[in-house]
Amino acid sequence: MNKFVNLLKKEIKEMITFQLIVSLLFTTGLFYFIGVIAKSEIEKVAAERDVYIVDLDGSQESKVLIENLSYAGFKTNLLEEKDKSAALEYASGNNLDLLIVIPEGFSEAASQFEFKNIEAYTYIRSFSISSSASTALVEGVISEINRYISNSFLKEKFPDIDPDNLKNPIKSTDFVIVRDKMAAGSAAEVSSIVYSQSIFVPIILMMIILYSSQMVLSAIALEKQDKTLETLLTVPISRNYIVIVKMAASGLIGLISAGVYMLGFRYYMSGLMGNMPSSGQANELIQQLGLQFTPNDFVLLGISLFLAILCALGLAIILGVMVDDLKSAQTMILPLMFLIMIPYFISMFSDINSLSLPVKALVLLIPFSHPFLASQNILLGNYNIVFNGIIYMLAVFIILILIAGRIFSTDRVLTVKLRFGRKRTMKDN
Amino acid sequence: MDDIILRVENLKKNYGKREALKGISFEVKKGEIFALIGPNGAGKTTTLRIVATLLTPTSGRVEVMGLDLKKNPQKIRERITYLPEEAGAYKNLTGIDYLKFMARFYAEDKQEFDEFIERAVSIVGFRDRLKDKVGSYSKGMVRKLLLARALMTKPRLAILDEPTSGLDVINSLEIREIIRSFVQEGISVLLSSHNMLEIDFLSDRVAIIDKGEILEIGEPEELKREYSAQNLEEVFRGLVQ
Repeated sequence: MNKFVNLLKKEIKEMITFQLIVSLLFTTGLFYFIGVIAKSEIEKVAAERDVYIVDLDGSQESKVLIENLSYAGFKTNLLEEKDKSAALEYASGNNLDLLIVIPEGFSEAASQFEFKNIEAYTYIRSFSISSSASTALVEGVISEINRYISNSFLKEKFPDIDPDNLKNPIKSTDFVIVRDKMAAGSAAEVSSIVYSQSIFVPIILMMIILYSSQMVLSAIALEKQDKTLETLLTVPISRNYIVIVKMAASGLIGLISAGVYMLGFRYYMSGLMGNMPSSGQANELIQQLGLQFTPNDFVLLGISLFLAILCALGLAIILGVMVDDLKSAQTMILPLMFLIMIPYFISMFSDINSLSLPVKALVLLIPFSHPFLASQNILLGNYNIVFNGIIYMLAVFIILILIAGRIFSTDRVLTVKLRFGRKRTMKDN
Repeated sequence: MDDIILRVENLKKNYGKREALKGISFEVKKGEIFALIGPNGAGKTTTLRIVATLLTPTSGRVEVMGLDLKKNPQKIRERITYLPEEAGAYKNLTGIDYLKFMARFYAEDKQEFDEFIERAVSIVGFRDRLKDKVGSYSKGMVRKLLLARALMTKPRLAILDEPTSGLDVINSLEIREIIRSFVQEGISVLLSSHNMLEIDFLSDRVAIIDKGEILEIGEPEELKREYSAQNLEEVFRGLVQ
């Protein structure tokens, strides 16, 4: 056991390099920085925007119309200019974003159902997220004006009827059914809540798997590059210990690295999504539908994630035996990355059940697909699929670890190589 | 019979269809420096790697202190140390941490561990640099560190592949003297080199190997007499031609 700890300490010391720490801090800082910028841009978009209006009509009706815009939540500013060109000149000179021009004779024409166009001038001064919000603002203002005018007409003709009932006579009440549970709400709302709650699971999983695999591949590649592997293989320690220690240290460092990166990513996402808390109503809907993880569900999800990491480490250690140096290790990580990216993108953007049978079978053969699908299947109560996935990953891990142990206990650990372009032969003096 | 530390009988090793060793046999006695000499590709490193339990023989028998190599590799590893020709040390560890890391695999208790470290420090000679990272060492310093690692445990058999490879004259001389002094303390050494003058100076007996076959075994002086040669290089040339 002491030998095991001795080796584990050495592996961890070797892996925690200055470069690793700098890279972790830099990326986390970068994510934080982007998150802060995104947050400030989104706050600008969400903030109440000024609407500048020049009223060339000057009628009582147009004044009421402008007042109504204030009641609807727009921050209106009436310009004193008496013609359009003067108003545009003022807007340019004072860096205004949006100018609404109510044309002369607007109210009179409207009273005869001959509508004149309201002109909206939007100034583009940058191409940031906040500048794109002006379009939505124009649409909002015009929509509110339309609503006000049409409601006024309808009220005049049908004073006892709510204008909204005339415009939208049929209304629907949405219900969502998940398994045997039903609740009032829209499917889009439920999907959106579940998606926002589980968006981090595949990202975390992908990062941990990639980092751990990269670590174990690099650990073996470095032993070969620095010519330390031969010495290590002749010390009195079980070869299986060497395999397990490399996996354990890589898994641990991979987990820490992914954790630190996720901290930065969390800043980034909270900046982008504005740290939106779920409303009480939304939580109630999720509770009614039973779309919440129980403690047992978390354990199941954890086992699934853990086995996927072990499978990745097992595969990476076998691939690591075939490389000679860090450069070839970077190439060797590619097939593993593809195996992880396929289920990652499928779980993010598609439904595995909608795939054709051969493609579905192919995806399920990839052990890393199962944890990506586990969270969805747990929520939907498809526990058999989750259990089968766990059993499959366990079987794959046992096979991989037996292969890795076998390779390390024979001379294949020194003789097996994949060739990258140049021809190599084993040294033999 | 007890004097034999290593016995190699009809050892063969194939890499695919290529025969690297074609049935070689030799013995290493207790307290002896036994050298394999020959050109590049002769089979020296393959032989050393097999004895060091890194490679498995295709056929033949290897016994280290009476232990069969195929059946007891782990027990053999406790009794030997191996210094590969192009070995390195972990660059992120300090010299002293590297020695401690290696000593922990062999030491039975704290006292023995301290003895190993003390011995290693006396071998390396650069006590003041042992707290620096190995990555900052010169090639000669790394080689001495590795030799200290190989000898600090006083193994029954030290397997040294080209121990002075790539070193300057001064460092080479120092390393040869260190090896000699440790043999006097009872350890046996199996080494390989293509520097035949070094072997002449260092070894008690030599095996001249070429193309996977041992051409001759004997004491350097005996071989020189037999082949009427000034040195082992002439003996080798006579044998090959």
